Amino acid sequence: MNRQGPQPSPRNPLDDIDWDAVRQYQKLIYILPALLLLALGAYTSYYIVQPEEEAVVKRFGKVVAMKEPGLHFKLPFGIDTAQMVPTARVLKQEFGFRTQVVGGRTSYRKDQQHRDESLMLTGDLKVIDVEWVVQYRVSDPDKFLHQVREPEKTLRDVSESVMRRIVGNSLGSDVLTEKRVQVATTSRVELQKAMDYFDLGIQISTIELQDVTPPETVKPAFNEVNQAEQERERFINEAEKRRNQVIPRAEGEARKVIAEAQGYAAKRINAAKGEADRFASVYKAYRDAPAVTRQRMYLEMIDKVLPNAGKIFIMDENQTSPLPLINLGDSKTSLPTTR
Amino acid sequence: MNTKQLSFIGGVILVIAAAITLYASIYTLDEAEQAVIVQLGAPVGDPVTTPGMHFKTPFIQEVRRFDKRVISWDGDPNQIPTRGEQFISVDTTARWRIADPLVFMQRVQNERGATMRLNDILDSVVRDKISATDLVEIVRSKDWKISEADLARVQLSGEEDEETLLQEVKTGREELVKSIFVQAASQMPEMGIELIDIRIKRIDYVEAVEQRVFDRMIAERQRIAEQFRSEGEGRAAEIDGDTKRSLSEIQSEADRQAEIIRGQADAEASRIYSEAFGADPEFYAFLRTLESYPKAVGPSSTLILGTDSEYFRYLRDISVQKGASK
Repeated sequence: MNRQGPQPSPRNPLDDIDWDAVRQYQKLIYILPALLLLALGAYTSYYIVQPEEEAVVKRFGKVVAMKEPGLHFKLPFGIDTAQMVPTARVLKQEFGFRTQVVGGRTSYRKDQQHRDESLMLTGDLKVIDVEWVVQYRVSDPDKFLHQVREPEKTLRDVSESVMRRIVGNSLGSDVLTEKRVQVATTSRVELQKAMDYFDLGIQISTIELQDVTPPETVKPAFNEVNQAEQERERFINEAEKRRNQVIPRAEGEARKVIAEAQGYAAKRINAAKGEADRFASVYKAYRDAPAVTRQRMYLEMIDKVLPNAGKIFIMDENQTSPLPLINLGDSKTSLPTTR
Repeated sequence: MNTKQLSFIGGVILVIAAAITLYASIYTLDEAEQAVIVQLGAPVGDPVTTPGMHFKTPFIQEVRRFDKRVISWDGDPNQIPTRGEQFISVDTTARWRIADPLVFMQRVQNERGATMRLNDILDSVVRDKISATDLVEIVRSKDWKISEADLARVQLSGEEDEETLLQEVKTGREELVKSIFVQAASQMPEMGIELIDIRIKRIDYVEAVEQRVFDRMIAERQRIAEQFRSEGEGRAAEIDGDTKRSLSEIQSEADRQAEIIRGQADAEASRIYSEAFGADPEFYAFLRTLESYPKAVGPSSTLILGTDSEYFRYLRDISVQKGASK
């Protein structure tokens, strides 16, 4: 601008500026912001979508495109914005407990707040503690971002409501046992219906019932029932054991009694047969010479009897009875006379 | 400073002013937003609901933005008596959205104001409906049905509230919620709000009632346990009795068979005897008697025999003969 040579006077303040130096840096003043602008532009004109994600691209706030995983370019300076939504990942909401992973070790936490989530009324107006997990996936990232302000909270609220409706329409003892699966399936269907109603862009994969238990204070009583059930089995088993001990022994004894009777029978019949045979032989001899045989048999008998008898008194029929003189103390039998 | 410098500075100011004016006349709406254009305090035109870039008159028009998405409303748990005078704690949750941002802005100004109005309306509707409904109607759904088998099973386990179990559900939870929704939704349009959904999130007994229910559950379980035990004892006694019966049966059957065998043997023996001895009963009697003498007479026996007996006949006869011969 002021291209006149240096003049000593009058002194203009502008003259003190070393315009050569200014001119030297003048370019830089333009280049530096331009460079910065360029860098910012470059930085804001690309984005990377991770493998499990999908990108929603908005121009001036309006959705213009969805992008698959990979490197993509967009208009810089916030004209285009990209929001990543993990559509391929299975997400999880826990009800009635929280999983904590500390140093690779998984533990479960259940506070009062979580208890409030899981305690509910059953159809028979009892209370039950139902823990469950909802697994879901974002199926439509556009809807997921723009239909409902708090999609997760909505999912949680609806899931609690649905679970309570279904459990409230079932018997508590059923939910504890055989209806577990049915409760899970029904609630999944109903929750999905609600998600579709809200157009939430969420796909429910599964609902899994975790611990389903009676409330804490009632648990001991439930355990008592289990114990009593086992006790019942024990009583029955013990009685059966006793029976198994006694019956076989009795059967053995019964066989013994019968065998003894059979022994008796054999002995009795054999004895009879033997005696009959002997009689037959003796009788055969007797029939040949009855009188002599009879006499002989009688005498043979006397032979046997008399030597064995303790005392023998022979009385004449005319004599008076000696009885007063005889000590009959050890006498047992008197032999009747044969006629 | 010369004119060149001045014009440069003026130019810069002009560019900046133009930029500011442009900036003030452009606005963007996000996909989740809607807006009302207000000109010096008065709304102008229809609310803007399409996302993207829009223009307005700079400086005198301003953009009031509202959420276009569905918004959550979460009520405080309310203690409400049901028609059966049972106190329960009811926690409701609702979804709403700003259907008409202009009306919304005029009536409730912002979401805070809306939430306060919603608290009033929804709490009161829920309270009205719940307190006019029986507890079973709130807990159960219309398709509540208890089968004969279920009833038998539940009764077996000692539950007494058969009446409650069988109580027919006239409206049920879904109908109740629907009627709450209808009544609440009718009051929404005047606020520029659309009620999307309202549901009962939680129903719980209030603390005092809960304790009573727990006590009842405990008592019931104890009854069941007692029943199991006595069932076990009963079955054991039955088995023991059965065992005793089997024992007597086995023993008496054995005795019976033994007696039959013995009897048959005796009969057979007797038949053999009579067949053999029948040939000459007199001889049998003679033989049998002879045989019994040696057995009957032992060392401790004393025999007193008359001289006239058969055996001593000769003893006397001989002495007589002797005396006669002298």
